[in-house]
Amino acid sequence: MNTSLRKSVIVGIAGLSLAGSAAGCAPGQASGPQDTGAASSAAPSAATGGGSYQDGTYSADGNYVSPNGNETVGVELTLAGGAVTGVKITEHPSNPNTRKFQGEFAGGIQSQIVGKQLDEIKVSKVAGSSLTSGGFNQAVEKIKSEAQA
Amino acid sequence: MPHPGWAGFSFDGIGTRWEISTPSPLSGAHRRRLLDTVADYDAAWSRFRPDSLIAGAARQPGRYELPAGAAALGPLYETLYRLTGGAMTPLIGGSLEHLGYDAGYSLRPGGPPLAAPPWDEVLDWRGTVLTTRAPVVIDVGAAGKGQLADLLSAVLREGGVGEHLIDASGDLLNAGTAPVDVGLEHPYDPARAIGIVSLGTGALCASAANRRAWGDGLHHVLDGTTGAPVRTVVASWAMAASAMTADALATALFFVDGFALQQEFDCSWLTVYSDGHAEYSADFEGVLFS
Repeated sequence: MNTSLRKSVIVGIAGLSLAGSAAGCAPGQASGPQDTGAASSAAPSAATGGGSYQDGTYSADGNYVSPNGNETVGVELTLAGGAVTGVKITEHPSNPNTRKFQGEFAGGIQSQIVGKQLDEIKVSKVAGSSLTSGGFNQAVEKIKSEAQA
Repeated sequence: MPHPGWAGFSFDGIGTRWEISTPSPLSGAHRRRLLDTVADYDAAWSRFRPDSLIAGAARQPGRYELPAGAAALGPLYETLYRLTGGAMTPLIGGSLEHLGYDAGYSLRPGGPPLAAPPWDEVLDWRGTVLTTRAPVVIDVGAAGKGQLADLLSAVLREGGVGEHLIDASGDLLNAGTAPVDVGLEHPYDPARAIGIVSLGTGALCASAANRRAWGDGLHHVLDGTTGAPVRTVVASWAMAASAMTADALATALFFVDGFALQQEFDCSWLTVYSDGHAEYSADFEGVLFS
């Protein structure tokens, strides 16, 4: 078996799995527990092809909910001798993210962002947009409470 | 504080929170000049105030004379309007209002998204003079906060305070010689960072779809060609010499590749897409946690 190929396949699948889990951590949903640790659970399942699978090419579409709605990603796996010998992220023409995702793991691309708690890292400033005007945030809270009433 | 022993001056301005850090506390005169600058900017550009200069353009076509800063904003917006194929436009105000991001913060869409009017049909922007041919809601929110940071920095320099760091709620301008380590806010969780970047002299601005969002996929970064929120990019950062440029480029990254922006601007950039992957220029290499 080609171990370097197999390793790259595992990395690819792990990245894909994280893509689904992190993207599923949308604003308004519970955050934290959802967006960590998925890689470790996904990688072994790809690595432990014990030979009980039929050779061939398998494909499936996966859906996940990003903050901006449902997104679909296609995965095509090729199995030979019980091991994954090829993996392909299928391009969905309507989805520019998937197009970006496919085949662009070269420099300047990280397949998945990883978060660390701010109190665990030493920075005096944060660049982002977490602090917005009181008026805006109050209006959002008001709409939420009205929607619940 | 960005450096031990520095003092901070915080205030609210143009709808956001500001903190200015300096090696020693600012005098009352310095503070007044800063607050006056903020008030002047708001009085010129706020689309939320009926008495602002720009609010007149929403009521009737005509010739509107804006402050000196308009001469820099116009060409910046024109370049980005071209690079984004019309998606990034100062004429987006009407689309924002239509989706509920209005002066009263109604946050209720008034119907399907409304595209912004084409620039060359309604607006002639020359220097500090804007001539409009129809009532238009001008919104310079994509670069205005950055430009105000630049103006405040100039006020401090003129007042003899060369070393300072301006934090406009996550958009940063470092006018000090010492670099500052800055965490990059996680697009889905403000309690986390996705990386740390060292900001030398210059600006680092961010744009994200997670804030100023009001449900059902509605947020404040709209595509001017459709009037609908952008759905593929969730967060972006840009570094440039001026905060005005960095601020505008952070928004432009929602519409175009950073590589395209690098053709016309001296900048660094990082874009995070809704599938969680990130792309970045060389200066952001090694910045992200992995």
